Amino acid sequence: MGRLSLRSVYLGLAAPVGALLFALLVCAAILGATGHPPLEVAEAMVGSLERPRTAANSLNSATTYYLSAVAVAIGFKMRLFNIGVDGQYRLAAMLAAALAGASFMDALPSVLRIAMTVGAAMLVGAVWAGIAGFLKVTRGVSEVISTIMLNAVATALVAFLLNPDRLAVTVAGSNNIGTPTITEGGRVPGFGYPGSSSDVFGLILLAAAVGVAYWFMLNRTRFGFDLKATGQSQSAAVASGVNVKRMVLASMLLSGAAAGLVGMPQLLGASYSYALDFPAGLGFTGIAIALLGRNHPVGMAFAALLWGGLDQTSNVLDLSGVPKEIVVIMQGVIVLSVVIAYELVRRYRLRLEQRDVGRALGTAPAAEEVRA
Amino acid sequence: MRRMRGGTLVAIAAAGVLALAACGGSGDSGAGNQDSGGGSDALKVGLAYDIGGRGDQSFNDSAARGLDKAKQEFGVDATELEATQGETDAQKEDRLRQLAENGFNPIIAVGFAYAGPVGAVAKDFPDVKFAIVDDFTEGVDTGPNIANLTFAEHEGSFLVGAAAALKSETGNVGFVGGVNTPLIQKFEAGYTAGVKAVDPDAKVQVKYLTQPPDFGGFNDPAKGETAANGMLDAGADVIYAAAGGSGSGVFRAAKEKGAYGIGVDSDQYNQPALADVKDVIMTSMVKNVDTAVYDFIKSVNDGQFQAGQQVYDLESGGVDYSTSGGMVDDIKAKLDEYKEKIISGEIEVPSTT
Amino acid sequence: MELRGITKRFPGVVANSDVNVAVRGGTVHALVGENGAGKSTLMKILYGMQGPDEGTIAIEGAPADFHSPADAIAAGIGMVHQHFMLADNLSVLENVVLGTEPRTGGRIDFRAARARISEISARYGLGVQPDRLVDELGVGERQRVEILKVLYRGARILILDEPTAVLVPQEVDELFGNLRELKAEGLTILFISHKLDEVLSVADDITVMRRGTTVARVTPGEVTARQLAELMVGSALPVPELRESTVTDTPVLEVSGLTVASPEGRTVLDDMSFTIHAGEVLGIAGVEGNGQAELVEALMGIRSLDAGRIALRGEDITKQSTRKRRDAGIGYIPEDRHRQGVLLESSLWENRILGHQTKPPCARGPLLDRAGARADTERIVAEYDVRTPGIDVAATALSGGNQQKLIVGREMSGEPVLLIASHPTRGVDVGAQAAIWEHIRKARAEHLAVLLISADLDELIGMSDSLAVILRGRLVAEYDPRSVTPEQLGSAMTGAAEEVS
Repeated sequence: MGRLSLRSVYLGLAAPVGALLFALLVCAAILGATGHPPLEVAEAMVGSLERPRTAANSLNSATTYYLSAVAVAIGFKMRLFNIGVDGQYRLAAMLAAALAGASFMDALPSVLRIAMTVGAAMLVGAVWAGIAGFLKVTRGVSEVISTIMLNAVATALVAFLLNPDRLAVTVAGSNNIGTPTITEGGRVPGFGYPGSSSDVFGLILLAAAVGVAYWFMLNRTRFGFDLKATGQSQSAAVASGVNVKRMVLASMLLSGAAAGLVGMPQLLGASYSYALDFPAGLGFTGIAIALLGRNHPVGMAFAALLWGGLDQTSNVLDLSGVPKEIVVIMQGVIVLSVVIAYELVRRYRLRLEQRDVGRALGTAPAAEEVRA
Repeated sequence: MRRMRGGTLVAIAAAGVLALAACGGSGDSGAGNQDSGGGSDALKVGLAYDIGGRGDQSFNDSAARGLDKAKQEFGVDATELEATQGETDAQKEDRLRQLAENGFNPIIAVGFAYAGPVGAVAKDFPDVKFAIVDDFTEGVDTGPNIANLTFAEHEGSFLVGAAAALKSETGNVGFVGGVNTPLIQKFEAGYTAGVKAVDPDAKVQVKYLTQPPDFGGFNDPAKGETAANGMLDAGADVIYAAAGGSGSGVFRAAKEKGAYGIGVDSDQYNQPALADVKDVIMTSMVKNVDTAVYDFIKSVNDGQFQAGQQVYDLESGGVDYSTSGGMVDDIKAKLDEYKEKIISGEIEVPSTT
Repeated sequence: MELRGITKRFPGVVANSDVNVAVRGGTVHALVGENGAGKSTLMKILYGMQGPDEGTIAIEGAPADFHSPADAIAAGIGMVHQHFMLADNLSVLENVVLGTEPRTGGRIDFRAARARISEISARYGLGVQPDRLVDELGVGERQRVEILKVLYRGARILILDEPTAVLVPQEVDELFGNLRELKAEGLTILFISHKLDEVLSVADDITVMRRGTTVARVTPGEVTARQLAELMVGSALPVPELRESTVTDTPVLEVSGLTVASPEGRTVLDDMSFTIHAGEVLGIAGVEGNGQAELVEALMGIRSLDAGRIALRGEDITKQSTRKRRDAGIGYIPEDRHRQGVLLESSLWENRILGHQTKPPCARGPLLDRAGARADTERIVAEYDVRTPGIDVAATALSGGNQQKLIVGREMSGEPVLLIASHPTRGVDVGAQAAIWEHIRKARAEHLAVLLISADLDELIGMSDSLAVILRGRLVAEYDPRSVTPEQLGSAMTGAAEEVS
């Protein structure tokens, strides 16, 4: 067994490391071809990561990316493609922001306010994703189609609600429009980062807790087992007594609830209001990170950190004259090569395992003869 | 085991970057600042665009023109950075902060989305002069070292609205907004007021191409064309395209149906990219972001920096209607009359719908 | 055709060692052996898909060296695969010429091709109509198209890989008729199978393979099916038999008026009623596709009923979910283990949990009991002789037989009251087969009720306390396993005895 687990460590490392090296090679080649010495680019990027502010911001980006990735991964584990995390978190953040910013909330104790805000966001996200789950279960509508559509509906709904006549307020002279600013008691204080003027989101702890809960759910609960079984083989899951329809609905609700959390660190830790400039598109980033981290709670954490770091260093690239689009290329190459590398390693591992079993069998025939 | 795997991953990635860098690095180390020219005490201007950046055929481009003019005239050294889709305020703030840290002064932020970030960074760099285009929010982006360059878009839009009503034969005009934001609603408010001032019974069709956070409506000619066609089919014969790059689609539709279009931001009749449809662009609501940017750089260059709001309105010539092509020559007198009334305060143009 | 000393090694495994087969021209030669005996590897070598590490192939005395199937085809060898390689939406003609289109001036000369197909079809009595769509053809007809395809390419030696696996008995007879015609025309046929009765009826010579090597060459006249089987497994066969009756009069499963229609509205189970008592094994005999799969799925709650009632130990479970039924003590050995029995990518111990998510030792409340599941998996691996290096390997790494042993072990744990077993010993080795039978016997003595569905008539007759025959969704006959013969069962299964019983 010792040999086997050692090998699995080595194989587990092979895919991400190989893919990253490959991606770096490709990026170096692109940089070289466009006349930017890779040395300086790398230096600039690493140098900027040493800047406390960039580091803190990387952590913050990673926090939201991670939540988004978990939301996507819950679906992925069941072969459900929740493309709608984007719409789910935007709608959830907007409505939760409206609630958190409402004046009656000022009277409540801080902890309760924050809990209500986060709870509301999870609820909204779950309901929005639940619509897609419900349509799939009752009408057989592909969740890919319905969640994409619901993204568009969410966009329109947010635009409709983000109006001074409804949930938004305007500030004189500003061309922005957003929900009322959340007052002190509704905010989640951040952690100071030495040397950085921006704090690390307090809700980074929430992301960590969500990661642990995700891991626990998948590996320690019957529900998680049913979820994984359904993802691996629906027919086997059905035969084992899993009610697939109920699982589809439950996992969409869970995925949506996790999606609802995506906007919370930013809302309660930095923006304090849902406005036109609230970050959009995080749901799609989550898909990339879930792919990169292979839906694994720890893998996705590293993927989110990598992604956040790359994003935050892109400003530096611009400053040093390198088009920051190189970062996007790098991210794309990394995802592609990681996905391919994992598949290659998976097949290789399977062959190795089969050979092991073959060996174990090769030594056994004598026993069979005796028994017969 | 899992932890080790991830840790090693990061370590190896870092090592990989360094190794690659070591292989690839050679000579040519001056590629950093492409615009570093003089080396004298010329200004180092940092300019941060909103999403789209230089080349968006809209107001980012207009800002770029102002910068280019300043570069030519004062030989300033400039670096331009651009926002990415889905980024946070923290990233915007970081962009400005890094410009400041790298010695850029003055720093110009284009777009209201920079309001919070400019306010925050300006406090930490009191010696650096900042400008923000399109925003003036008391307490957010105001300070002794911030200039707020704002425009009276509603006033200019009023004039082109009046022009539309005067030119319309059907009493039915259109407004195509790029993205449904308060800023573009300001264009709509002024335009509608202008139309109604001429013909209280005129019908104004309003359509926004996208809803935030989808800012694609500023750069989607196909959407513009579809929206314009709908309005033309419904009887409109003049359409105001307050939609950045999407305007070309609006003009194409107008040309097809023999109707008029109205341009935005710059004098679009003279834009080379629109040469084939310019004969339907009867006027444009000119919003001189380039002038504002140029003026700001000039003021810093001359040591005349002024903090606070600088309103570019009809009176100061920051917004206006254009006459290129001669299509509004016949009504110019009437338009100028309205202009006078607005400047004198006789007509108060609403800025919200 | 002659194969001498063929040896083929794969990393860690010797698939073929010193294989010797001599096929006389103009005969039907059968190659028999258990699953995993090395037949497929040998076949791939013969067809040029893999090269042997040692040994030679000679065709009509001349040595042959195949590097690809194209070489083999050029040497006059044709292969009819078990899974048909036909495009459904093309006509027979198009399928046959696909890849070898006759051209005149750049255009496909369909007229010449059609003439040749008709000629070949007539010569060997294949009855293939060139212009029909493959989509419209039955399984037997498709197989004849496959045969025609290789003949069209000029094959003189035909390799048929388990050709009868997909056929119903009548079609098997037709196929054998065709084979005799081909033989009469001077063609040589290598027939790969593990169905011994068929082999004995059609082959002129038989070569037996066991564990990668050839162990005997016999002619049908000199052996019985049982002797042949013993040659295949290399030892005396275990005999499926029940010692003394343990049947009680406590009904465990009562089924009445069970009716199920397919989604297309065809009735697949028609008013079926039966009862299984504690300690009783009810065997269901039938040609595959006569409603067995639907019956099993209806009992498991995977498929909903159109009418009827199912009761377990007196309690109506007609409307209960699959999970409730499993919790109530139904064990399930599915027919298609890859589809319903295992999670191929999961480890063995995770597979132990499958279907038993709610019960100890796999679960405590809503949580999984990993230690419990792992320990019980070790027990199953030991008791059922699952050949594996450990319980952390993925199920897909195991051979089919070992997967089956794991499933049987799993479904027999937790003291089920009813076991629904579809082909419980299909594809497992003889030792394990005996072990599985022994486990079923033991559980039966402890009042387990068993519904046994099998294609192995010896197993059915030997292991059942009562026997029923299923035909077109109805139970058409009942037999006493102590007195019935496989022949009687066989004719009832095809409907020949329907009127008599």
